[in-house]
Amino acid sequence: MSGNLVNALTLQVLTGMQLGAVYALIALGLTLIFGTLGVVNFAHGALYLIAAYLAVFISTELGFFAAVFIVPALLFMVGWGLERGLIKSFYSRPHTDQILVTFGLALVTEEGLKWAFGSNNIPFPLPQWGTGIVKLQEYLPFLDGFVAFPKWRLVMILVALTVISLLFVLLKFTRFGLVIRAGMRDSGMLRFLGVNISQRFAVVFGMGALIAGVAGVFGGPITQVSPDVGMHLLVPSFLVVVIGGMGSLGGALLSSLILGMALSFTAEYSAVQQIIVYLVAVIVLLVRPRGLFGKQGVFE
Amino acid sequence: MMPSTRTFTFGREVMLMVVFGALVLGMPQWLTWIGGYEALATKVLIWALFALGFDILLGFTAYLSFGHAAFFGTSAYVTGLMLKHVSASVIPAMLAAVTVNLALALLLGALILRRSGIYFSILSLAFAEMLHAAGLSIFAKWTGGDNGLTMDTKPVLLGIPMEGRPVFFLCAVFVILGFAVARQIKRSPMGLMLQAIKENPTRLEYSGVNVMAYKFAAYVISAVYAGVAGSLMVIYEPYVATKFLHWSTSGELVVMSVIGGVNTLLGPMLGAGFMLYFENVVQSVIGEQWKLVLGLIFVCIVIFLPGGFMDLWRRLRALLGRAKSRRDNVPDAPGSIQEAREANYAALANMEEAS
Repeated sequence: MSGNLVNALTLQVLTGMQLGAVYALIALGLTLIFGTLGVVNFAHGALYLIAAYLAVFISTELGFFAAVFIVPALLFMVGWGLERGLIKSFYSRPHTDQILVTFGLALVTEEGLKWAFGSNNIPFPLPQWGTGIVKLQEYLPFLDGFVAFPKWRLVMILVALTVISLLFVLLKFTRFGLVIRAGMRDSGMLRFLGVNISQRFAVVFGMGALIAGVAGVFGGPITQVSPDVGMHLLVPSFLVVVIGGMGSLGGALLSSLILGMALSFTAEYSAVQQIIVYLVAVIVLLVRPRGLFGKQGVFE
Repeated sequence: MMPSTRTFTFGREVMLMVVFGALVLGMPQWLTWIGGYEALATKVLIWALFALGFDILLGFTAYLSFGHAAFFGTSAYVTGLMLKHVSASVIPAMLAAVTVNLALALLLGALILRRSGIYFSILSLAFAEMLHAAGLSIFAKWTGGDNGLTMDTKPVLLGIPMEGRPVFFLCAVFVILGFAVARQIKRSPMGLMLQAIKENPTRLEYSGVNVMAYKFAAYVISAVYAGVAGSLMVIYEPYVATKFLHWSTSGELVVMSVIGGVNTLLGPMLGAGFMLYFENVVQSVIGEQWKLVLGLIFVCIVIFLPGGFMDLWRRLRALLGRAKSRRDNVPDAPGSIQEAREANYAALANMEEAS
């Protein structure tokens, strides 16, 4: 009896982690861009979309492993170009303009993809090694009996963990990361110290897009590849960022985990599951209006 | 003060309303001249009313809500349910819809108006999406879920069946009334306070003004406009689509307001007309890509002409040497209040030097 409970709990925790992983990857890019540049990127879902579509075509042409490397690199370039070409001229304009222009880009991307590939879901075949299930009881001795979990969802969790660790190392242990963290704290001061921050900001935007690219490659098969997925993912990702506290990377991770778990543990009550994300957001924001790790005075 | 606000005279106001009223009432006529059709006029008016109310929030206070579909949709559903289950009469349905909307606006406003700027935008979007999700799941028994809500009875107003021309006149009355009210709000002390919120809420707070109360008022007023619009939509077309609650409805509202030019009252209505014209008339020419083209137009306008069509009009006049180009929605944009104020300071300094 208790064995069944442990099995069910393990599965739900894993599902929660997997759901959280997709949100975490999108939210990390969002909060990274927001924390350093102060830009709310409504086009972040569109970046995910572009990545997912690119991944479908590159993986059918050149194989999945090619897509894993090419798509994030392309997305980095897209993000970098977007910042240099367009977003740059919006820093001096009001926040609402930044929202409007990125929202416009999101619309154009969505409609453009609809026009090019139709509004239906296009199939994203999994690579051979990623199909099937994993028998968890072979790895986790405390499980009782037969417990299976889709392999690809485990891959998704592992990829998210890898990306998060890499980002952590980059930000914590490199000089570039030091500058970025300082920029998130006080970009004006950094400028006074003679650091060319605007060039690095373009790289940050590119990195945000790159992470969305990774999310698109690995998340595409799970979330489906259709033009409305971008906006569909963007709203919960925004909530992740807001719940965690704007500009806080740790907060984004924690809140994506919380939301993933909330979604996974309410799966049996589908009516509740539909709105649980928002309920969590309401509760957190009522108790802590700045989010879990939001600091006073940051972009208020 | 606002550099271009002309002094209010009763005669001018009446003239303006007469011209506006004539344009609105004549719409089924002149819309057909430019390739539209009669029934489109009603739809344009409904969206114009929606956008007009939105301008009181976005244009006056610069609070960019991405969740006004919540009000439009909720009101549409309440109207639909009232018409279907209670009575086919329009008046109780609209009253119920507006009341529910008021309650919703008070509730949502208390939650999200505490935050400003981007937080406000994100939170308004999130709560509207929550209502959309709830409409599809928890309330599916009443809303009909994905299928939407269909009514078999024709709505009736004081014995007149609401279809065709009568619906148009009902909408026209609301739009003309709504425009007159919005103009009065704009030039009232409250309107000035709302514009001041956009400029500097902190300073306003320090001078003893209850900023929260003012922005709450703007939020609720715009929600009431949205409610009336949502209600009219169902009276015009007795079917409630789940799309009314979807973020894309809020998105369309934002797009039309910005295209037209916010904080001009006329601009968003113009934008609404443009958008529906695009959707219904231009679509038949360029096909399904109209949304893509519209999106591109929107992006271009945000980048190059942030004051919208109304600013284009001003820029044309500026070319003729009649007026300065100006955008109304942002205090620190060139040619705006800030610049006028700095010019004042410079003039003052000159005077001091001279004396």
